[in-house]
Amino acid sequence: MRVPLRWLSDYIDLPTTDPDELAHALAMLGHKVEGIEEVGADWTGVVVGRVERIDPHPDADRVRVTHVDLGDGDLHQIICGAWNFDTGAVVPVAVPGAVLAGGFEIARRRIRGVDSHGMICSERELGLGDDQTGIMVLAANTPLGVPLASVLDLPDVVFDLEITNNRPDAMSMVGVARELAAWFRVPYHRPEVTLVTVPGAPTVAITISAPDGCDRFVAREIRNVTVGPSPLWMRERLRRAGMRPISNAVDVTNYVMLELGQPLHAFDADRIAGDRLEVRWANDGETLTTLDGTVRPLTPADLVIVDGDGPTSLAAVMGGARSEVSHTTSRVLMEAASWHPATVMYTSRRHQLRSEASTRFERGVDPNLGPDANARACRLLAEIGGGMVLEDVVDVLANEAHRVTVTLPIGEVQRILGDRYTLDTAAETLRRLELDVVADGDALEATVPTFRPDLTRPADLIEELARLADFDTFPETLPTGPAGGLTADQRRLRRMHDLMRGLGWHQAINLPFVTTEELGLFTDGDVHEVVSVRNPLRDEQARLRQSLLPGLLRNVRDNRNRGASRVAMFETGRVFYARPWVEDTRVPDQPMRLAAVASGPFGDGGVEGSTAPADATVAFAVVAAIGEQMGVAMERRPARLPGLHQTRRRVRAERSHRCRRARSRFAAGPTGSHPDDPDLDLSSRRLRPVVRRPRCAPGGGAGGGHCVRVRSGRICDGVRRVPARGRGGAVGGDSLPSARR
Amino acid sequence: MDLADTLTDLRNRTSVAAGEASTLEGLDTVETEALGARSPIAEARRRLGSLDAEERTAAGRAIQETAAAIQGVIAVRRAELERAVRTARIAAEAIDVTLDYRTLRTGGLHPVQQVIDEVAEIFVGLGYKVAEGPEAELSWYNFDALNTPPDHPGRLESDTMYLDYGRPEDGMLLRAHTSPIQARYMEQHQPPVYVVAPGKAYRNDTIDASHLPVFHQIEGLAVDESITFSDLKGTLAEFARQYFGPKTTVRMRPHYFPFTEPSAELDVSCFNCDGGSAACRVCKGTGWLEMLGCGIVDPNVFLAVGYDPNEVSGFAFGVGVERLAMVRHGIDSIRHFIDNDLRFLAQFPG
Repeated sequence: MRVPLRWLSDYIDLPTTDPDELAHALAMLGHKVEGIEEVGADWTGVVVGRVERIDPHPDADRVRVTHVDLGDGDLHQIICGAWNFDTGAVVPVAVPGAVLAGGFEIARRRIRGVDSHGMICSERELGLGDDQTGIMVLAANTPLGVPLASVLDLPDVVFDLEITNNRPDAMSMVGVARELAAWFRVPYHRPEVTLVTVPGAPTVAITISAPDGCDRFVAREIRNVTVGPSPLWMRERLRRAGMRPISNAVDVTNYVMLELGQPLHAFDADRIAGDRLEVRWANDGETLTTLDGTVRPLTPADLVIVDGDGPTSLAAVMGGARSEVSHTTSRVLMEAASWHPATVMYTSRRHQLRSEASTRFERGVDPNLGPDANARACRLLAEIGGGMVLEDVVDVLANEAHRVTVTLPIGEVQRILGDRYTLDTAAETLRRLELDVVADGDALEATVPTFRPDLTRPADLIEELARLADFDTFPETLPTGPAGGLTADQRRLRRMHDLMRGLGWHQAINLPFVTTEELGLFTDGDVHEVVSVRNPLRDEQARLRQSLLPGLLRNVRDNRNRGASRVAMFETGRVFYARPWVEDTRVPDQPMRLAAVASGPFGDGGVEGSTAPADATVAFAVVAAIGEQMGVAMERRPARLPGLHQTRRRVRAERSHRCRRARSRFAAGPTGSHPDDPDLDLSSRRLRPVVRRPRCAPGGGAGGGHCVRVRSGRICDGVRRVPARGRGGAVGGDSLPSARR
Repeated sequence: MDLADTLTDLRNRTSVAAGEASTLEGLDTVETEALGARSPIAEARRRLGSLDAEERTAAGRAIQETAAAIQGVIAVRRAELERAVRTARIAAEAIDVTLDYRTLRTGGLHPVQQVIDEVAEIFVGLGYKVAEGPEAELSWYNFDALNTPPDHPGRLESDTMYLDYGRPEDGMLLRAHTSPIQARYMEQHQPPVYVVAPGKAYRNDTIDASHLPVFHQIEGLAVDESITFSDLKGTLAEFARQYFGPKTTVRMRPHYFPFTEPSAELDVSCFNCDGGSAACRVCKGTGWLEMLGCGIVDPNVFLAVGYDPNEVSGFAFGVGVERLAMVRHGIDSIRHFIDNDLRFLAQFPG
């Protein structure tokens, strides 16, 4: 939220105006300042003048020669190229010696034989806005000769605050003033809401038929309003706060929303059909054309305001086009209502309509703010748009707002915050936040104002006490746990990482999403047990991986495309299957896996200089090294996977001898429960050291230890994603393909 | 020539010959000539049998003394020669250190992994265990157990990725933070609890310079009989000093999270400029780096996992791993972490 310091200062006498000090106070209150913007401080020498006479330029068609009164009794001749004003216009004038934004200096000039003593400025030239339609025209009663800066309340500083979701009360100038008042221990004041009224009552009858969505609806009628532009001061404040001025009737609602935090809506009372407004849930099939011109289909979950002709406003989110105020409006019905946050959130999300109003209602606007905010808006509109406020107010109260009382034992405060608070100091602090506090033994009975919906429990009040104590003042103490350390599984994963790194492999981390095609590459038979994302942002993120290999293959392709000749990457991570997980059967199976892919030269033991390509033997070697390091059995058998070349048993005598020996040392029993999985399972269940001599034949059913299968193969042509010459190989844990390139 | 002269002569001759021998082979010859089967010593020994007992004792002793003396001379010379040979061989085999050599390629761990490992080590040193949990998770652990209101925007499909699995009321999802791990851990363990939990987190975000749909967090949780707000501050200050350097200071600011109260954001003093430079590119002149979210565990979280909030208190924090790496290394875009570009990865040895 943007908070201009000048505006804020209407409600509080701040002990400092130093922007950095204020930013620190706001940050320590929990309202982080994301930016401090200085406005209008980048020009000098601009004063207010009135155009008294306009002559044509004798020698130029596109400019005129104006004679401007700067309040000093003289007429100053200034040539001007804008045509959006007439004699009598009060305008900003940069006099000779003035310096405009960007260091542009104004001097006496001669333009086609005519002297020009300065420049009449546009908003854009003064850095006040983007309006390029012409020069800036000020109110006719602006005193002549005064510096424009003082007319505009400049220079000013605008704080951009991040207001957290739990603090709707701070989403206004008064709300921020209230916070700073508590911090600095100074008073703050609310704006004037007393009204001068004429006898009369609104013609429109109001009913709330949806008390489960609307607590209160306050309305007043203002007659004989002249809708037109707001005065400069209001437009300027709105702009500085980040809102676009529209017309006085609309600007007043936005102004009061920013000032007090209560969103309002101005209806053209003459365009309310049947002189009645009703708050109700929409019916299927109903539509509403909102202010932005969009026709929106409604559902029974949308809360609407209807008149005799049906929906005329999307409650709390956006008004309807049908009852919008326009330049012909003279009778305004000013609405200030209280809506339920969940309803507003649903409707604004469903219609993708987020407004300043919906943002505030979603978080919770003080249900008792309506009457004051309504009066304030009516007062302002009567002031700037003429008109008379009718005496009678319509205040429909569907649900009364009750104040919450919280019992806070002081021991509870001290348990969390230490001994810094006593019963008395805690009470004093909470009172600064406008809670009504009485002591009851060792506890405080604190009654919370309705603008603080976030305070309902002792913990909420402890947070307030911590906040106002200033987090900076808390000492630092260091508790330590009874015994730190890694589990066996965690140590194993680290050793695996270190081993792979030492063997020359780089770790990759991929998004765990794959395409349907990729899913099928490393699965025997049909793709099954796929876990899908129900609401993917993009189709590529709709399916979860069952193997780490597709991601790694993409990494190899990308790196080769970037010119890398040798790529060796591994990844450890979870894969997902739509079947119960052994560690918690309520969630899908998600074992940790390891896989690796290499392409390009990969010499024995990682020694460069060998031009030997990464092939199946590299894969065998890595898996064997893992087996050796982890002390687990590794056995190789032929296998078929669509992503791998067909394999067969083809071992030379010497290798076969080694295998036999290995088998006699390690291989002991059946493979894991899911032998089709292509990656190496890292769960301790599967990867467990074999500690006793085997008693069974390979592939047999007798249980001794476990063994991890090793498959060999080459990546099929169809899977070759690496558009590069040379050879490459892929290692997939217990599946060990090699790719020929 | 009597025996004594013979022995003296032999001793002198051998001494000279050994000194003159310039090779180990030559020395072997000298030794054979002096002590071998055909040497005067052997001859004298053979003759001992023909002497009477008294002479035999004297002669035997003389022969033995001479033989020992000769052996000593030869051993000294042998040692000299061997040393010379070794010296010559070392000189001959000297290695040219400018030789071309073959490279042993090593790989590297992903910078995200390095941060996870380092942070885990810091907290293990403070007595913490490392916890893990499922990435495909129940809504209960991701939201409800963490005191997230039913209408919290984080639950919307625009923010969280839901899975087609299990019963609809389970709201199976990809966890939006690592915090469900703390709920699970507390469910299974009694206090005191001191754990950190690293892992992936999922959000329905479009990839840009500061967002990834999948990123990493490290969750921390301490629950004990009397954990205070100061304990939280001190623990995170200690972590910051170990991770960013001993001069680091921390600042906590109030913030809002559903699962902690009081909640705070932690700023770390800028390690690059120590808060001293308005032009610092790391902290953008503010002197502080926004680092993580933390707070005192909300009583409702304790109730959800079966702890009595009147008996225990605790703190929790969650830090973005990519954020930690980006800040330390001055990395401008979070996208680098999923590109798996070797040119990037190779810049983080370890």
